[in-house]
Amino acid sequence: MKCTAMLAAVGVLAAGAAAAQQPPIKIGVLYPLTGGGAVYGVPALAGHQLAIEELNAKGGILGRKIESIERDDKLNPAAASSTMKELITKDKVDIVLGGLASSVGLAMSEVSKQEKVVYISTIPKSIQITTDKLHKYVFRTSANTDQEGDTMAMLAGKNKLSKICHLQLDYAYGNDLEVGILKALPKYAPDAKIVLTLKPKLGATDFNPFIPQVMAAGCDGVLSGLWGPHFVSWVKQAAPLGFFNKIKWISGGEVGSHEIAGELKGEYPDNVISNTYELWYHANDPSHKEFQAKLAKKLNTQETPQWAALGYIGVMYAAAAMEKAKSTEADKVAEALEGLSIGTPVGKLTIDAKTHQANIGQFWGPMVKKSDRAYRMMEPAEYIQPK
Amino acid sequence: MTLTMFTLNAFYGLALAMNMFIIASGLNLIFGVLRVINFAHGMFYMFGAYITFTVAKSWGAPFFVGVLAAAVALGLIAFAIERLLLRHLYDKEHLMQLLFTFALVLLMSDAAKMIWGTDQYSVGYPPGLGGAISLGFVAIPQYQLFLCAVGPLIAIAMWLLVDRTRWGRVVRAATQDREMLAALGVNVPMVYAAVFTIGSALAGVGGALAAPRIALVPGMDATIINECFIIVIIGGLGNLWGSFLGALAFGLVVQFGTVLAPDWQDVLPYLLMLVVLLIRPWGLLGRPETN
Repeated sequence: MKCTAMLAAVGVLAAGAAAAQQPPIKIGVLYPLTGGGAVYGVPALAGHQLAIEELNAKGGILGRKIESIERDDKLNPAAASSTMKELITKDKVDIVLGGLASSVGLAMSEVSKQEKVVYISTIPKSIQITTDKLHKYVFRTSANTDQEGDTMAMLAGKNKLSKICHLQLDYAYGNDLEVGILKALPKYAPDAKIVLTLKPKLGATDFNPFIPQVMAAGCDGVLSGLWGPHFVSWVKQAAPLGFFNKIKWISGGEVGSHEIAGELKGEYPDNVISNTYELWYHANDPSHKEFQAKLAKKLNTQETPQWAALGYIGVMYAAAAMEKAKSTEADKVAEALEGLSIGTPVGKLTIDAKTHQANIGQFWGPMVKKSDRAYRMMEPAEYIQPK
Repeated sequence: MTLTMFTLNAFYGLALAMNMFIIASGLNLIFGVLRVINFAHGMFYMFGAYITFTVAKSWGAPFFVGVLAAAVALGLIAFAIERLLLRHLYDKEHLMQLLFTFALVLLMSDAAKMIWGTDQYSVGYPPGLGGAISLGFVAIPQYQLFLCAVGPLIAIAMWLLVDRTRWGRVVRAATQDREMLAALGVNVPMVYAAVFTIGSALAGVGGALAAPRIALVPGMDATIINECFIIVIIGGLGNLWGSFLGALAFGLVVQFGTVLAPDWQDVLPYLLMLVVLLIRPWGLLGRPETN
């Protein structure tokens, strides 16, 4: 008897609590968490989680708690599509963020279009997401290949390159970045000639077939889209030949990030000019310090990775749009995102109402030796934002 | 192609071939004796590279101590796997063995994530091998020359072990008729365990030796297992010198093929395998299956 009464009481209490608390807002996110892409996906997810922890500590979005539903996209467009559909139909998420590879970003954008759920592309750079394949529900808070190509062409001009070797990985990102560079090169470096274009495959570890060709081509500079492990493997195989003594290496793909510099340490070559979204040791906005400190605490290292900022900014945009729309309905959130400005650790950003592209910039600069550090640092780091 | 370029490319091709041979020879040895197709061999390779990173970079030991540590660690892991798990599957159908080694891949990749996280790592060249040697008309990276020397040494060592020792005779007998061998009083299960251990240790050494010339990232095991299978199939299943030849063909075709026909770089190894299989379905040095 007593037992039943207690059970009844518990039931009443539980029902009361549920009524008082609204259901949480569900944010779905996909990053590569296993395999080769995990190098970037895991820190990006850390930034994503940091943003949600911060928002929840302040009471969530629209007074509702945020529930983060995190999935592995396996760096595979097919897997990402089916996982995203599951997030939408089964988990009933209100918005989807993330993606890393351009191919995955394009696949996720397609699902967002079909299912009419807002997707914020936080890392994929392929220009197509915000041009040919643009639709009502897709937005981008990372840089894109046109913007990156434009800056690389500008740097080629600034460094007075006359004979250029062009290196791109043979897939969506590399091909789109090549287009971006070729479009801008006549403007900044009208006299420069591309004497050699090579396209190693995505995931290549052996660049020995390409290195001697670049050395024999007699170029004074390389424009490269080799990111992460591709760059590291190239450096390791080319450095013994003295490759970097004479050739200026202007690179997209964020090889100026601390993740690469901190790992390669003394092996990091001379003459590299590259980019990164964020630098733990350099700020262009007062709010960066607080963000970096929190991230350092979460990841338990002072030298935090740049990718976290992208995950963080994506969530902050989602939250700001829902607050502005006073709703989680996809149509209203999409409308709210158009033209929306927010403050971020890398400064104030605005999403263009027409192209759905945020005007996020990147830090660009030469990677220089420091007498008091074991690794190179970007100095001076110039924040280049699209006009 | 100038003589300089040809020489340089030939050395690169040979170095790649020798690195691949060290890994593939282990896979081949295991298949030859145990008749098990070990999908986890690529994962053993990755563990070899990561262990070298931990020993040589995190702990600051000399590079070659790292290589030795990779061999020993992979040997121990493989021995435990064979004794505790794999040996129960020899009499089961092939599908069970395949599923088992595939499960190992998944388990070990999660274990690697727990131990090393998902960061990207780099191991420096050992002192004295990080530069290039000038041959007058061309400069060859020292580490590539080193790989060109180590590969044949390992091949000869394995040949001596398998063809010139009593233990090697037992191993070869085990491939022919293990029941008879057991009836003669040989401890066949221990022979199997030893072969699996040595084969896996070779994957570890292959990974350790690859570590200074590539980036260490999760997923670096993905393509290596396919490439090893290609080499073993080209050379002839279970044949040591076949794997050596297969690796040479693989290394040179990939290197020169990528230089001459870059658009074909993805399919070159498969084309090579296709051509060999059309002409000699049992591989370069393999023997036709007789029933």
